[in-house]
Amino acid sequence: MTSVAAPIEHGGHADAHAQSFVRRYIFSTDHKIIGIQFLLLSLVGLLVGGSLAMLIRWQLGFPTQAMPGGGILPETMAPGGVLLPEFYNALVTMHGTFMVFFAIMPLLVGVFGNFLIPLKIGAADMAFPRLNMASFWIAVPAFALMVVGFFVEGGHAGAGWTSYAPLSANPEWSGVSLGQQIWCVSLVVLGLSSILGATNYITTIINMRAPGMFWFRLPLSIWSLFITAVLTLLAIPILSGAAIMLLFDQTIGTTFFLPPDGGQPLLWQHIFWFFGHPEVYILILPAMGVVSDIIANGSRKPIFGYHSMVYAIIAIGFLGWIVWGHHMFQSGMNPTLGMSFMISTLLIAVPSAIKTFNWLGTMWEGSIRLHVPMLHACAFVSMFVIGGLSGVFMASTTVDIYIHDTYFIVAHIHYVLFGGSLFAIFGAVTFWYPKMFGRMMSRFWGYVHFGLTFLFYNLTFFPMHQLGLGGHMRRIYDPTEYEFLQPLQGTNEFITISAFLLFAVQLIFALNFIVSWFTGEKAPENPWQDTGLEWTTPSPPPHGNWPETPTVHHPPYEFSSPLVEEDYLMQDRAAGKETP
Amino acid sequence: MAHPPESMDQSTQRKHPPYVLIWVVLAVLTAAEVGVAFLQDWPKTLLVIILVLLAAWKALLVALYFMHLRFERNRMRIIAIAPLPLAVILVVAVITEYIL
Amino acid sequence: MSHAATSAVMLPPARAESGAGVYNEKLGMWIFLGSEVMFFTALIGSYLILRVARPEFWAEPGEILNVPITAANTFLLICSSVTMVKAYASIQDGDQAKLKLYLLATALIGATFVGVQIYEYSELIHHGFLPSGYAEGGELAERAQAGTLPAAVGLYGSTFFTMTGFHGFHVTVGVVCLLYVTWRAFRGRYSAQDHRGVEVIGLYWHFVDLVWIILFTIVYLI
Repeated sequence: MTSVAAPIEHGGHADAHAQSFVRRYIFSTDHKIIGIQFLLLSLVGLLVGGSLAMLIRWQLGFPTQAMPGGGILPETMAPGGVLLPEFYNALVTMHGTFMVFFAIMPLLVGVFGNFLIPLKIGAADMAFPRLNMASFWIAVPAFALMVVGFFVEGGHAGAGWTSYAPLSANPEWSGVSLGQQIWCVSLVVLGLSSILGATNYITTIINMRAPGMFWFRLPLSIWSLFITAVLTLLAIPILSGAAIMLLFDQTIGTTFFLPPDGGQPLLWQHIFWFFGHPEVYILILPAMGVVSDIIANGSRKPIFGYHSMVYAIIAIGFLGWIVWGHHMFQSGMNPTLGMSFMISTLLIAVPSAIKTFNWLGTMWEGSIRLHVPMLHACAFVSMFVIGGLSGVFMASTTVDIYIHDTYFIVAHIHYVLFGGSLFAIFGAVTFWYPKMFGRMMSRFWGYVHFGLTFLFYNLTFFPMHQLGLGGHMRRIYDPTEYEFLQPLQGTNEFITISAFLLFAVQLIFALNFIVSWFTGEKAPENPWQDTGLEWTTPSPPPHGNWPETPTVHHPPYEFSSPLVEEDYLMQDRAAGKETP
Repeated sequence: MAHPPESMDQSTQRKHPPYVLIWVVLAVLTAAEVGVAFLQDWPKTLLVIILVLLAAWKALLVALYFMHLRFERNRMRIIAIAPLPLAVILVVAVITEYIL
Repeated sequence: MSHAATSAVMLPPARAESGAGVYNEKLGMWIFLGSEVMFFTALIGSYLILRVARPEFWAEPGEILNVPITAANTFLLICSSVTMVKAYASIQDGDQAKLKLYLLATALIGATFVGVQIYEYSELIHHGFLPSGYAEGGELAERAQAGTLPAAVGLYGSTFFTMTGFHGFHVTVGVVCLLYVTWRAFRGRYSAQDHRGVEVIGLYWHFVDLVWIILFTIVYLI
């Protein structure tokens, strides 16, 4: 096997100068540019999802009251600023849909998959750069279509982001036809983008690792992106198939999920969740991966138990396929199936717990640097533990009878997706911003944003556990209609105010992001003194990343290594002795 | 530019798999399937099993010889068959809703 | 040892770790086919589940669908797989003429397959078999009323048209890609040393044939 450093073949940087602005920045095949394109698109998605949440919280905190400024919404949505129940249904559906598909997933998989994979494995670009470009440009119309759905006759899809049949399949019952069809089509189009992306990531990681980058020298961010890509490749097509069947039920008279002619509503749930559960691991694994990188960096220590971390990621990837029924304990499915799902769900807590203990073990007796990414990573660990613990309650079929479809579930979702994924995203964006844009984000405002976000986030979502245990159901328009919920209304108001403040605080992040792009401190090659290969390139790296393929001599987290004086040993450094 | 390893066989004289023979087998199996399907007297379950086995045999021939899995390393074969257990899990689990 | 790799171009990237042992495009196609397996699993799996759940919504083999024509069509598609693999074998041996011939034959047979499917669909619709089941007042609906066919076949129609329709769509995409590869072949873009495009479209084409082998059996014969 050759390990000679040979010149990178793809697109020598001399060509780049000759390319037009459009070819360099709009229709770029450079993975770094595509990663940034996904970043901008998904931050818009995050804004949309967050704004929808504000409308939801208004209605729950101050039911059927006119929203300040609500007059700008059309009559079909909120006459006189009072949200209509149909519009509320669309809001909860679209908040989930945008956050899952157009915010968190592209932020983790589209942004960090694209940006980090070639850089961290020592490749010049992805295996299929033009396919990569196609992936992004297919996602854009999917996004646009989903937005358009708000403005069609009948309003947007309102059957929840999980779109259960038969409500979603029969326009007569939901009052929504075009909106639901748009939901289906948009997701099928987005699915194609994801599948092509996954194909690219998997091929690249398998075949294009630099000499010396053995599988067990890959950083955990790459391991988790690899397993995530496998999950994406195999789960998303299931959603595509399901969405197509649903679309046909809606439009050409098929009866897959419509009972009168033999259709099976339960089939929708099974197929959707067979996709849906691997999907949530797609939403958390890359977050776990970047958190590992950041915690090792912030502790100046190698990751504790690197091999077990890898096996845990693989185990989560495997087990994630056989737990889907835990979303369906209340559906009336076969009770024996229910029992097997309970067992597999309880089992899947184990690899996550192993990872948590390993993060703690990494930090134990480390020389801790509490930089902004490290704070976000620590928040990830603690908030994810809370979300994971509530998951254990839900895993039990008997407990779930009581808490299914209540705000206890909503609390869980948001602890793992916001407390988990989103904090990891904030940390990762801050960590790799210098490499992406050549500038540092403001540290001061980073700390302010973190502190206020952490505070208001917990004030918003922790009380939801209580609401759920008190019986507060999900997706209801006016809690005050129910006598038994009226005592909880104070909590709803408190959550709403906290949520408004939480949303407002994100302006700090947005401004930090935008302003730093132009006036941030110029970033050196390795501002965090990290060991990964990406930190051996300029900030930002040129087209092709390296003039010559690097050769890797060390594992990924050689902090405080006895081999060198500095407290970090970069993976490609030939420091005399090769480490396994 | 790196050279390919010396051990790589550079000869143009290679033995191809017996494609025409496999074509004949596939044609015969297809005819057999159609024949079996119209054996009205046989129990339905037996018919289904035979037909599925015949189809699987044909599919295997295409995968092994036309898609060259027969000659690929184990790594490629694992990649090729990896989705199948998932397909089985989904269908079997949900079918138990209706037959158990 | 893989006999497909005959040159540096068709080896895995030489500078890299050993990886899968095959060049990127081939690895990528196999991986993509994995996603296609899952897509058809959703459709075919649903069919199997619905058929077990509500068998009364199906007719017996041959009562509604035309088995003889489809059997012939199945044989056609298998022939196209043979011409495809012969095309590949030809360029492995450096035979440009046979490559072009067999590629054209594959594309032609593939297009014929789609044509026969479209004809079959139009016949079915003409007789009153739709994705939603019987067409009102159609010939099949009347036979159902007379008691010689099941009372309702909504699930039969739904699953039949969706599965075969998406398969047909995949064949069509395959034909378009085949024409592109054929055009490149005519421009002399393939050699014994580098014929990645031929092998990769071949894999896709064989996969589409494989799916049909399964579909023909479980949709038409059971």
